[in-house]
Amino acid sequence: MTPDMELSLPARAENIALVRHAFGALGETAAIDEQLLTDVRLAVTEACSNVVTHAYAGCDPGPLEVLATLLDDELTVIVRDEGPGIGPHPDSPGLGLGLPLIASLTESVRLGRDEHERTEVRMTFSLSDAPHDHRPTADENHRAHASPPRGSEDDGIDPAAAV
Amino acid sequence: MSEPTSRPVPDTSPPPSSPSSPPSSPPPPPSPVALRVTDGPLAAPVLSRVVSMILARAACPLDRLDDALILCDAISAHAPAHARDGHLSFTLTTDTRALELRVTKLRTGGANGLIGDALLPDVGNVIERFSDSRRIESAGDGAGEELVLTLDFG
Repeated sequence: MTPDMELSLPARAENIALVRHAFGALGETAAIDEQLLTDVRLAVTEACSNVVTHAYAGCDPGPLEVLATLLDDELTVIVRDEGPGIGPHPDSPGLGLGLPLIASLTESVRLGRDEHERTEVRMTFSLSDAPHDHRPTADENHRAHASPPRGSEDDGIDPAAAV
Repeated sequence: MSEPTSRPVPDTSPPPSSPSSPPSSPPPPPSPVALRVTDGPLAAPVLSRVVSMILARAACPLDRLDDALILCDAISAHAPAHARDGHLSFTLTTDTRALELRVTKLRTGGANGLIGDALLPDVGNVIERFSDSRRIESAGDGAGEELVLTLDFG
């Protein structure tokens, strides 16, 4: 599946705003519900922030890739990096809420590696449910959708623990 | 009547900066940025937003930002006819003085075709008018070509 929008840029903090703006344009063009678009942008921001903070810690920023695909009332967003992978970060400067927050904002979230061994967070958002009547909890999300990304095996990472 | 007493006013002014401290400088612009977008209605708004963000961070003056957005609209409108696949691809690079907007993955002859299509009655050619330089390069993968436009603002 070829994405409708694909951004590749250095994993630097200032570039997160650029990604957010791009998703603003995507949301307006696709007439995505305003509340849902807010959720999308927040989830994407969190995923990108994780890349900036953790993926290339201690070395020069590597690439950050963000892909968005609109298909059949569903928006799929992949945030990808070439870091060592997602795992527990006990010394993380953050509150450890990033991935649980993403899980609570998305229809499903999957963590793993793509066919080129790049780390990716794959998020899906249902466009037909907006505005949300019921939003599954992070735990429900994880139980229902914690399956491996295309072409890879499940890393078995709990989003709630991998921050 | 008692004389008003004077009290020492605490000094709340910021400490003088050390002459040896370097002046604060804006963060480096986010370049290069590669953007690929489907050639439908998504192209123009996404390209415009990304270019705006990059130029704003590079402290580009507003008049040149307007020029860049007109350029983006013209490219988004006419590039689909010359793209190699159903997507428009760009690489954006900035420094403190210029933006390089590279329209990649064009068919052979597509760069000239894109420039030629940007002709507006009474306005002239939008790409030629609003960009400061133009050149055509062969694509890195040997298939097709790239149109490289620069927009100076420094």
